Amino acid sequence: MSHVERVEELLTLITKSNLNAYITVDPVGAREQAEGADLGELDGKLAGVPVAVKDAISTKGLRTTCASRMLENYVPVYDAFVVKRLREEGAIIVGKTNMDEFSMGTSTETSYFGTCRNPWDVSRVPGGSSGGSAAALASFEADMALGSDTGGSIRCPASFCGIVGLKPTYGRVSRFGLVSYGNSLEQIGPMARTVQECALLFEVLAGYDPRDNTCIDIPVPSYSKLLDRELKGLKIGVPKEFFGEGIDPDVERAVWDSINILENVGVSYEEVDLPHLKHSLSSYYIEAMCEASSNLARYCGIIYGYRVQKDHDWHTTFSQSRSLGFGKEVKRRILLGTYALSAGYYDKYYMKALAARSLIRNDFQRAFKHYDAMVAPTMPYVAFKIGEKIEDPLSLYLVDINTVPINIANVPSLSVPCGFKNGLPIGMQIIGDMFDESMLFNIAYQFERCTNFNKYSKAQL
Amino acid sequence: MITKSHVKHIASLACLELSEDDLQEFTVQFNSILSYFDELSEIKEAPEKDKVRFNNLRADEVLPSLPQEEALSNAPKTEDGYFKGPRIL
Repeated sequence: MSHVERVEELLTLITKSNLNAYITVDPVGAREQAEGADLGELDGKLAGVPVAVKDAISTKGLRTTCASRMLENYVPVYDAFVVKRLREEGAIIVGKTNMDEFSMGTSTETSYFGTCRNPWDVSRVPGGSSGGSAAALASFEADMALGSDTGGSIRCPASFCGIVGLKPTYGRVSRFGLVSYGNSLEQIGPMARTVQECALLFEVLAGYDPRDNTCIDIPVPSYSKLLDRELKGLKIGVPKEFFGEGIDPDVERAVWDSINILENVGVSYEEVDLPHLKHSLSSYYIEAMCEASSNLARYCGIIYGYRVQKDHDWHTTFSQSRSLGFGKEVKRRILLGTYALSAGYYDKYYMKALAARSLIRNDFQRAFKHYDAMVAPTMPYVAFKIGEKIEDPLSLYLVDINTVPINIANVPSLSVPCGFKNGLPIGMQIIGDMFDESMLFNIAYQFERCTNFNKYSKAQL
Repeated sequence: MITKSHVKHIASLACLELSEDDLQEFTVQFNSILSYFDELSEIKEAPEKDKVRFNNLRADEVLPSLPQEEALSNAPKTEDGYFKGPRIL
């Protein structure tokens, strides 16, 4: 199939789709790039590959809304570092994918542009916040995708949609051009249908960028070429805390079956305690909300973003613009963050959250002295129904129990499909030490070769 | 216990206007969320400095920035090449 044919097929799929995976599609740009690819004008590691980009990542000349009314008409005048890298390596940018507003959610239900649906069962959520990217991959509406992960926003939808997604080590990928939500926690990462494709995409995204001061300048391994190493002799830890109260027994069983598959190829395992993980959710939500309250202060309707027509004084104009521009979950997090940072509560909430973060980080660092990686369920259950949790924010926050510890600890984690329950995908995360993504891809690739959880058929969809 | 007037005060600090319904709903929800966070009170340790994170500042030199026209291209209101804010007086 030529690149033009693939792009035409994909654009047709998107037009007919009932998933709402995209907020903005760029048919003109995609066709033009595909023609170039067919003429051999594009070269690079991703030459001619149709890639979908989460709408939180800036694309020059292509509307970037962050799924918010606030940025409904915002057209970036520059590319994010990762988007520039995609273009340099010949990728075709198909469009911008649906997400929770400002990445705040676990279900892609808070999007101003409507809920995104799970391709495996359209009455269910695709996970979030990068739900559109995962749904687009699982339904062949894209061949690779970018997401961002502040507390699970790549791995949750990867798990719920049966695809592969990596939350990289903090500092491995530039955040330049990513709309900030919780900037001490978030990373842009690759999403794909196979481990090999995910590794290849990550090779392109990783690297130093002086415009992100938290980005580190160390060499980028050829991840996609380091997949064949045998796993014999590796030791993995299985942290008990990830199998806690509320986990679906079928999910637990699928992950243990997967650990047995790894055992069969020579990996040994031990159960391990990470005792401070019980503080993960509080620590994560307080930090993320505090950072959000500060990061989102920039939306005042003057330089860009939604602004009420009729001006009043500054405070009223700002307040009215923000009240109409932001959705409910965004307001909730800004308010809670403002509260937790306000005089008298700073020590009680923010400092305690940082203290918990130190303890959790130390738990992980201790564990990686003994283990090459750790394995755990990505999500405690399979995709839930649209509308099931959205009215009760606390219940929705609790869904993130297994994903947030990773962001707090700054370490990488790769979610791979590891089974099904009633036709819905189950995901397993392989967690690594800082900058050890190649270990995760290696384990995941060997695991994938022993299983067929990512053998999709369009008939299923 | 957080009250409606607390929430109203925080909303004003955060430049958000809330409807009466939102105010009511958020007050109830904030109480349950904040009481969940109270579990952190059992931590006695102080936070440690995060030694594994980075703060690589680039050299302080002038680099090209956005042309004026591009910088203004997303502004809701402009005048004579400036961003236009609300009146002060």
